[in-house]
Amino acid sequence: MTESKVYLRKVAINQLVEASLFDEITDEHLLIWKTTWVPAMEAYCKGRADAEKPDDSQWNWKWKADKWRPFLKYHSFSIVCEKELQGLMLASDLKSARIQAQFGKPIVYVELLASAPWNRSKIQKPKRFGGVGTIMLAAAIQLSLDLGFKGRIGLHSLPGAESFYQDDCGMTPLGNDAAYGNWIYFEMTEKQADEFRQK
Amino acid sequence: MDDNEKRTMTLNLTPREMAVLEDLAAKKDLSKTGVMRLALRLLQAADAKIRAGQKLMFEDEKTKEKGELVII
Repeated sequence: MTESKVYLRKVAINQLVEASLFDEITDEHLLIWKTTWVPAMEAYCKGRADAEKPDDSQWNWKWKADKWRPFLKYHSFSIVCEKELQGLMLASDLKSARIQAQFGKPIVYVELLASAPWNRSKIQKPKRFGGVGTIMLAAAIQLSLDLGFKGRIGLHSLPGAESFYQDDCGMTPLGNDAAYGNWIYFEMTEKQADEFRQK
Repeated sequence: MDDNEKRTMTLNLTPREMAVLEDLAAKKDLSKTGVMRLALRLLQAADAKIRAGQKLMFEDEKTKEKGELVII
């Protein structure tokens, strides 16, 4: 497991603070998820209709970890800051690009990406840290580069996150995908990945 | 086991196998090593599905005709 130094923006003081990006979701991270993240999400969801709950509120990272860990195609990431879990991501490397210019070429596909509940403006105001999604996307691009995929990545956006991927990250939307809950599929080309890394 | 601790192996391929490898590397925009790594991941994923009693199927997008890929 590799630990890299990254920076998150602490919203309350509007300053960057040091955080750790791990290229693995460990048992320790899953324990922190269970004891802090899950209660915060449950507290937010309590009394709310299903339609108002975040789409990832039912994601069981422990159960998912048991499924992905045996397979080489999966790569997991976590961000820890101030001894708390700030974000989790699962990516895979067996999917092919859909954009015509890179059709059929392998991409890193972001299977799951979530910020901790306290890092979402919808759940907590002000949110605690900003930048989790951007760092995770950068990690997915770096993984793509490490695998020789030249920065190509793809993902299906949760409803509400589309503008982040399109406007902030410069990914190309390829329309709603009926096979994935009608979520919009986004892809990043080698050039777009390069531009994202320049920011 | 540390994933950063890599081990080296030598792979001897026939001319035909090497030609296929080079062709796939060009098509997938990957190095030959990258193709071999991808093949390993794919075989592991397919093998797990087949062991769990599932079939590996391909479907023609136009005709919807399905064909099963049998992996030994």
